[in-house]
This record gives sequence, C-alpha cells and structure tokens, in this order.
Amino acid sequence: MMVSGEGGKSNSQDFELNLASIIDCLTVLITFVLASASFLSIGLLDAGIAAAGAAPATDAAPPSVNVTVELGKDQAMIVKLGGKATSTTAIPAKAGAWDHEALVQNLSALKQKWPDLNAAVLTAGDAVEYRDVVKTMETMRKAVPAVLLGGF
Amino acid sequence: MKKLKFKRRVENEEMALQITSMADIFTILLVFLLKSYATGAVDVNPSTGTLLPEAQAGENSVQALKVEVARNAVLIEGQPVATLKEYRFEAADLKANGSSSALSQALERERQRQMLIAKANSDVKVDPKIIIVSDQRAPYVTVKSVLASAALNGYTDFKLAVVKGE
Repeated sequence: MMVSGEGGKSNSQDFELNLASIIDCLTVLITFVLASASFLSIGLLDAGIAAAGAAPATDAAPPSVNVTVELGKDQAMIVKLGGKATSTTAIPAKAGAWDHEALVQNLSALKQKWPDLNAAVLTAGDAVEYRDVVKTMETMRKAVPAVLLGGF
Repeated sequence: MKKLKFKRRVENEEMALQITSMADIFTILLVFLLKSYATGAVDVNPSTGTLLPEAQAGENSVQALKVEVARNAVLIEGQPVATLKEYRFEAADLKANGSSSALSQALERERQRQMLIAKANSDVKVDPKIIIVSDQRAPYVTVKSVLASAALNGYTDFKLAVVKGE
C-alpha cells in the first residue's frame, strides 16, 4: 500500500507554503496601518441647545432656578443662582488650582434643593484657557446633566 | 591557527530564519493594530500642532461643519478663513458683538450653500450643528468669538471635539 506522500515526487501532495511572500504582504499591511492610524479617540461634548436634551415643549414649565458658573482669574469660580432664589457663591482656588470638588458639592446641593434644575450655563473670563473650560464642563456634568457654554 | 579554523566553520554554517514564527508575530501585530485602529464615528482631523483638551465624552456619531481654532488661524473644513495671532483674533476683525467679521462671512457662505442644497433636495435639512475643534491653549475670548459668529449664522448646536480620556 502506498502512503500519501511516499509515491515519488510526481504523486506527492505535500507542499511547502511560501511564507516569504505572506510576510511581504504583512509587512506592507503593517506599514500602511501604522502610517494611517490615529491612536487618538475623539469624542464630542454637547455645549449648545442639544445639551439640554430634546427641544422643550411649548407648554413645559421653565425651571425654578437657573445656575451660572463663572470661571474667573486666579482659578476662582463664582456660582450664581437666579430665578425663585438668588445667591452668589464664590469658590476660591485650592492649592493654586480650580476647586472642582467644591463646585460639584455646591451644584449637587442645588440640584437636591431644586430637582427641576437640569441645565447650567458655564462662562469664563477672557484669559481662561479652553482646556480649563472643558475640564470644568466635564466636572459640572457630574451634578447637572446639561452644561451650556455662555458669555457671548 | 586553530582559532581561524573554528571561525571558518562558523561562517559556513547555514543561517535558517524561522519564517513561520515570524509570520505568526506579524499576524498578531496586524490584528492588534487593526483592533486599536481608531475607527471613531467622528471624523475630525486636527491640523498639526493642535492639541485637543481631554474629557470623557460619549459615543456619538455626528456629521457637521467643522471649525478649527489653531494657533494662527481659524479653519473651516481645513480651509483657513480668519487669521489669529497667538490664538487671538486681530482687533480689527472683531465686531462690537464679539463675533469675527471674516469668520462670520465664511460661515454665512456655508449656510447659504447648505440652504441651496436643502432647497434642491427635500431630504437634506439645514443643520444647526457645528463641531468646534479648538486647541486647548486657546483663550476663552477666542472660543467665545467663534461661538458668537456661529450662533449669528444659525449654528446653535455646538459640539466640542475632545480627546476621550480614561
């Protein structure tokens, strides 16, 4: 009985895959992927009308209070409450940086007191860097679902 | 003399490259690269030197007009439309309401174009969305001017492009 692969060269079904060409293909593919890859994942933050959710119905009652957070000089923040209640709270810098913890605590307390508070406006001084605005916006979203950019 | 003989023997030995394992490594590398390839739903390509701020942002697929604030210019869809000097608009370019004349003109052109398309094709609607791709070092006064220019031309749904954080 003849075993497959033993019947001489002409009948042999054994063959060796030419890996060199496969490696060539893989090298070209890897180079292409590396050259065109963007390893940054970009996302979007809502800062306009849509940030407050769907368009409000015309008969929807306005919120009891409105909150505005102002980023000022020297990493100081001011939380202004308007509407049925008015107050102004200053949050000074903590160790030379924005005190985001105090801001979240302040906003959470307001949210607890006024459950219909769903949006806040964030504004900043002219010299405040955009990165600080985005960071504060991200922090505020922990307490208030929608944060809109204002001041213009 | 003995040392020379040994050297020759070593040189004559065939170097067999392990191509199979090499192919394995390359395949794994390719799979890893393809997996980590950023196939985000947001098609934003900031120009060289622009650093986006980092924040936690959701997965949302949005196609809208892109306005980029770079160090020396404001770009709409990659085309410079207004000049900046160290992230700030020139005083002559700013209007009393804080918007930029050059940027407003460019945004108005885009708006007109959108309206023409919407008029010709009922499936296309005039979109209030705009994606702001701003460098993290830009002062808020510049971003404010860009937002004011956009709002004046009907772009009121602002989306801020950020690098997704951990």
